[in-house]
Amino acid sequence: MMLHGARAIYLRETLLLRRKLVKTLLASAVSPALFLIAFGYGVGRGAQVGGVDYLTFLLPGLLTMSSMNQAYGIATEINISRFYFKVFEEYLLAPLPRWEIILGETWYGITKGLIPVLIIAGYSLLGGVALRFGVLFVAALLLHLAIFALLGFIAALSVKSHSDQATINAFLITPMMFLSGTFFPVEQMPQAIRIVAGLFPLTYSTRLIRATLTPAGAIDYSLFPILIGMLVVLFLIATRIVDRVEI
Amino acid sequence: MNCAEASDGHDRPCDIEVRGLSRRFGTTVAVDGIDFRVGRGELFAFLGPNGAGKTTTINMLTGLIRPDAGEIRYHGERFDARRLQIKRLIGVVPQHNNLDRELTAAENLLIHGRLFGLHGAQLRQRIDSCLEFADLSSRRDTPAGKLSGGMQRKLVIARALLHQPEILFLDEPTVGLDPHSRRRMWAFLRRINRERHCTLFLTTHYIEEAEQLAERVLIIDRARIIAAGSPERLKRSAGHYVLDIYAAAEVRNEFFSDRAAALRRLEQLDSSVRIRETTLEDVFLQLTGKRIEA
Repeated sequence: MMLHGARAIYLRETLLLRRKLVKTLLASAVSPALFLIAFGYGVGRGAQVGGVDYLTFLLPGLLTMSSMNQAYGIATEINISRFYFKVFEEYLLAPLPRWEIILGETWYGITKGLIPVLIIAGYSLLGGVALRFGVLFVAALLLHLAIFALLGFIAALSVKSHSDQATINAFLITPMMFLSGTFFPVEQMPQAIRIVAGLFPLTYSTRLIRATLTPAGAIDYSLFPILIGMLVVLFLIATRIVDRVEI
Repeated sequence: MNCAEASDGHDRPCDIEVRGLSRRFGTTVAVDGIDFRVGRGELFAFLGPNGAGKTTTINMLTGLIRPDAGEIRYHGERFDARRLQIKRLIGVVPQHNNLDRELTAAENLLIHGRLFGLHGAQLRQRIDSCLEFADLSSRRDTPAGKLSGGMQRKLVIARALLHQPEILFLDEPTVGLDPHSRRRMWAFLRRINRERHCTLFLTTHYIEEAEQLAERVLIIDRARIIAAGSPERLKRSAGHYVLDIYAAAEVRNEFFSDRAAALRRLEQLDSSVRIRETTLEDVFLQLTGKRIEA
């Protein structure tokens, strides 16, 4: 059977996801709802950003950020499986090329990242915010989720302990959430912050996903090759790391 | 090729050949240029104290870590972690029960089978047969985390057997089990060796386990192999009988090749003395000056 290793890994992860689906759904629903209430209805009520009302600006940003959190969140799961339950050894012992481990986990990260997308799409309907869910949005979203699942995979395999993982989250993921244009346009930031934001993949995926979702949003098509380039580079890094990984 | 040397005189085709295998972690030498062979169908034990290098050796033999030097061959073919065909021949039971606790016993086996490319009716049949072999059929839908320690251990072994490996590695298979479960596990391992014609390579720091189970024992201490042979031969090399001489706060040992000589010596001694047959612990003590399970 083609890609039996990647399929097996995906099956394992999704069987485990089913066991904790309610918890995952709640985690994906609560945090964006709070941001929506605090920023959308609190701080940003009646405000206009980039020619649209703030809620229309915020919802695509929240969708991108929350789906990033879930896709990148596979890092914690791989970490627990590697350092605590040691089930990751099963992947290393199996007769499969190691890039199939990357494929299976990335595929799972994408699946997990789709959960908050569905929830926030529901919020947009409830809030009466018209978003455009088209083919370009799907393409941008898949690229975005694959990039952050790969980042999660790389982080999980690069750290030496569970606490190192928390450090990465504190110094990379949290700043990325606040500086990549989720809540306000990067262009409004001081020059130094704009330079830092330019290093974060979330800045590019937020801009692209927001443009594909916002009615009459002008899509910068050059963002597609940038994200594809990031995806390829991250996949190559992941391949190198997984080839060298030891228990 | 045969494993005459490896099998203590019995001619057997060779399953595993290891030459000059070494591995360091930082400045610590975990395994230092070891050589050995394992014959087909053999029940082989790697005996040594904790930290001697047993798990590092198994990890290198199964591709979980890379050696710094040396080579490993299975059926004469050189092995590294990319040799997928060779990996199909190997089953591994790690020291810890690395099960997905939230998945059922059957689901744990299902994932393993899929990782090894099994599917459909063949996989379903193998899952049933492995659960039955491990006496876990009635627990197939129980989450692995809810099984007892002994059952979890059996499930890990059943999982390792699912793809029908020719060689089964077991790292400290009975650690954490009570004496009764340990004896049942030994019977289970003998059954695997006998009925499934599987070569068993186990590591242990329990003397009794090596003596009871293994046809051949390799004794490892401080990253190096210090003795090899059948338990009987190793014990013979130390002497058949030993006197435990209780003097002051310590116990001194004297070894004898026959019982009569031991009894003669016993009569000469004033202190409290016990006569007994030698064990692998005595072999280890003679070679290293320390006890294995200390």
